[in-house]
Amino acid sequence: MARGAVATGAEGSATLKWIAIIGLLLVVAIPCLFIVVQAIFPEFGSGSFAAPFSVFFKTLIDPDLFGLAGNTLLLGVGTMVCAAILAVPLAALRALFRVPGALIWDALLLIPFMIPPYIAALGWIMTLQPRGYLEQLTGIHLAPLLFSVTGIMLIMGLNTFSVVYFVLSRTFETIGARYSDVGRVFGAGQWRSFWRITLPLSMPGLAASLLLVFAMSIEEYGTPAALGRRIGFEVLVTGIENRISEWPIDLPGSATLSLVLVSMALVAFMLQRWLLTRRDYRIVGGKPQAFDKKELGVWTLPVSLLFAFVAFLATGLPILAILATALSRTISGGLKPSNLGLDHFSELLGAGSEGLVALGNSLVLGTTTALLAGLLGAITAYSVVKGRGRFRIVLDALSITPNSLPGVVVAVGIILAWNQPWLPITPYNTPFILLLAYICILLPQPVRYATASLHQLGDNLEASARVCGSGPLKAFVRIVFPLILPSMVTAMILVFAVASRELVASLLVAPVGFQTIAVFIWQQFDQGSAGLGMAMAFCAVLITTLIPLALISLLRWASKGTVAGLR
Amino acid sequence: MISSPSAPAQSHALAIRSVSMSYGAENVLNDISVDLAPGQVLGLLGPSGCGKTTLLRLISGLLLPDAGEIEIAGGKVAVPEAGIALPPEKRGLGMVFQDYALWPHMSVARNVAFPLQMKRVGAAECKERVAKALDRVGLGAMAERRPSDLSGGQQQRVAIARAIVAEPPLVLFDEPLSNLDRELRETMVEEIADLVAELNLSAVYVTHDHSEALTLSDHVAVMRGGRIEQTASPHDLVNHPATSAVADFLRLGCLMPVARVADGWTIEGTGLVLPEGAFEGAQAQVLLPEKALRLGASGPSTLKTTVVRAQTRSTGQALTLRVTGTPHLIRLSSSSPVKAGDMLDLSFSPEDLRWFPISDQPT
Ligand SMILES: Nc1ncnc2c1ncn2[C@@H]1O[C@H](COP(=O)(O)OP(=O)(O)OP(=O)(O)O)[C@@H](O)[C@H]1O
Ligand SMILES: [Mg+2]
Repeated sequence: MARGAVATGAEGSATLKWIAIIGLLLVVAIPCLFIVVQAIFPEFGSGSFAAPFSVFFKTLIDPDLFGLAGNTLLLGVGTMVCAAILAVPLAALRALFRVPGALIWDALLLIPFMIPPYIAALGWIMTLQPRGYLEQLTGIHLAPLLFSVTGIMLIMGLNTFSVVYFVLSRTFETIGARYSDVGRVFGAGQWRSFWRITLPLSMPGLAASLLLVFAMSIEEYGTPAALGRRIGFEVLVTGIENRISEWPIDLPGSATLSLVLVSMALVAFMLQRWLLTRRDYRIVGGKPQAFDKKELGVWTLPVSLLFAFVAFLATGLPILAILATALSRTISGGLKPSNLGLDHFSELLGAGSEGLVALGNSLVLGTTTALLAGLLGAITAYSVVKGRGRFRIVLDALSITPNSLPGVVVAVGIILAWNQPWLPITPYNTPFILLLAYICILLPQPVRYATASLHQLGDNLEASARVCGSGPLKAFVRIVFPLILPSMVTAMILVFAVASRELVASLLVAPVGFQTIAVFIWQQFDQGSAGLGMAMAFCAVLITTLIPLALISLLRWASKGTVAGLR
Repeated sequence: MISSPSAPAQSHALAIRSVSMSYGAENVLNDISVDLAPGQVLGLLGPSGCGKTTLLRLISGLLLPDAGEIEIAGGKVAVPEAGIALPPEKRGLGMVFQDYALWPHMSVARNVAFPLQMKRVGAAECKERVAKALDRVGLGAMAERRPSDLSGGQQQRVAIARAIVAEPPLVLFDEPLSNLDRELRETMVEEIADLVAELNLSAVYVTHDHSEALTLSDHVAVMRGGRIEQTASPHDLVNHPATSAVADFLRLGCLMPVARVADGWTIEGTGLVLPEGAFEGAQAQVLLPEKALRLGASGPSTLKTTVVRAQTRSTGQALTLRVTGTPHLIRLSSSSPVKAGDMLDLSFSPEDLRWFPISDQPT
């Protein structure tokens, strides 16, 4: 669309520009600002700017901080290693050989995206803990491994490696088709050409997806909280959560820790962006072409078993453990037919149950978040694409900032901003505060989708509406928005799925007595009603996966291919 | 819609005065001035990248000039010095884009109805006018289709219907036919010419194809490198090109350098002496127009040439000839069969030559 520098006669709508600016200030800038201010001015909460930086530096040289930051790095790097060890061989096998049932493995490896990590972690606890399902079935338990730093890394690796697997198998396939065949023409064997051509060319893609895994793992709350706390392994996220939710509340400390965590995430994010925009990675884009894959021969069975084993660990085991717990009348009763029943489900879904309220709350919040974030995202992307000068840079920067804001940091920022005693009115202590948190965390998704599809729109589609006599706002409403709607719907579905089961921000900012799906599961598990919690977890996974899938196929059916972009 | 006329009423459908525009440091348009009387068509002709689209976008308001003045139907729409900058929607124009720019999410009828809806024309009248416009371009039966279900030529017709449906005082065409294949282009040129005449439209028609420009326009402005080289009627343009660049771009014939000798001028490399032309200086360029050439040595002046290529065409043979003793090529069609390597004599009258100064090199 408009290319910047030149004075265009067809400026974007000023109304939309102001909506974008005010929306982003409210949702993103204010929480960030309050974190920074609180970190610098420890007395800010009581209205004073006294003793700037006093606590900031004290926290920075606090050995506690070194411990937390070190643990965070350790966890991030360890998770990266686990994810790489799991993903690289599978991706290479999948890309270069004819693996039987390849499409089925792909579909199964998508499921970890649908299970929130904290639910998977709870499933692992039920399986590996003493007297857990593994011990009931085989007589041994792996609690020492599970409740260890290595165990946390392994489980987070299992939750995240499919990101790397999908990026890498696609990259391997493209490069394999395009370049390594050329290498083979020049006399390199299959293995030589993999090591010398395909792997080096895939490095940027591998590194970028591993950095994403790193960012995901340092921002994760549920898994380290569920597993690490039992062995005293604290990371920045849990440290921040501690300082803001447990007495004595340490606002400046949590703000400073938040800044450290955000810096780490920011570095990972910038590195990733830099890797992906470098020229040598761009040649790797595009669709995989059909190319001759090797037969596995005698290795067919071992390779299939490997895929089955990893898919079972990443997908089957957590879900089965959740289901088993949900179906067991009592945990101590064990896996006996007499102990199985639908009691927890009927309690959860019975009239007037707390769980049902939580479920309803999350669905309403998820839907509202999806609609608002989608709308704000579309307006922001449009204003950025149409915009010029400094205003455009600021807007662009604000809209991608939440990419490096972990949920816990957003929560801290929102508490600091909206819990100020001098505010005449505040959304604090109402469900709206959750809406603010979710929109902030998820805004980058719709912005990314909208930007991509705005760039695909021809320049002239909007220009011709303007020449036909439509003002800028009307051109957006009648032409631009309907045209990017299909990809916005995809983005909004994604937002819904994540927002409706978000954990850490919900724990921190939900009004007293207000429950969401995640809060409910977490509390039930804490209070020892694992069965009820797992019944909710199972319903949540089912609902937040099935509703989006149903919506997508409904849309595909309704548009019957007439709307571009819905594949 | 358009600010009150300050010039004598309706003297011009479009008036552009000394308009300049640059993208950053790159000067794209330089001191452009054009006038267009109501009911006439102005052809903007020029090679790729010379600034035609930019000029059109300035007229439509999608871009703003750095300096100068643009008037549509007597009302000033862009005067940067006076801070006047009407946005596109306030200029009441019709425009046909090079890439059609039809909205894929609306049916053909709704695409065409859009300009009327923007003018808040009532539903019944709107429907009637849409049907009329679609009938006019021969698409009455396709009103409910999606643009994506139409052929390229049909899509272009929809774009034309959308541009004329609101009966705007000025219609802009930006290379509307360049995406179509040649056969379709030729029929569409005639259709557009008929439509323009029937509706008595004022229009600006941008193209880099001279036959299109010459067929459709009452006046043609030839652009080069952000300037207008010449504005003239098609007849004058072909017969009296103002510069060698115009002659070269229109492929009117062969341009050759000439030098002064004792008894007149000679085409360098040939022994041919031309009588004294009305031209000062020691060197010049002459244009030998294709239509002034005859085969044979009947005179008054005769050039010796060698056949470089002879290609068979539906209308006869397309010959490429090299003037003996020079690198200059002459293109000519002939009905008598010749083959490569043959020697041919060409005759012309010296008064048909066009003279240009030598400094004026075509790029
Ligand atoms: N957005 C832009 N930024 C910078 N330069 C531009 C931009 N758009 C066009 N130009 C430059 O302006 C000049 C004129 O471009 P314009 O599109 O008007 O050419 P044109 O005559 O329409 O060419 P064509 O026949 O290929 O469509 C070109 O040299 C082009 O490179
Ligand atoms: Mg152009």
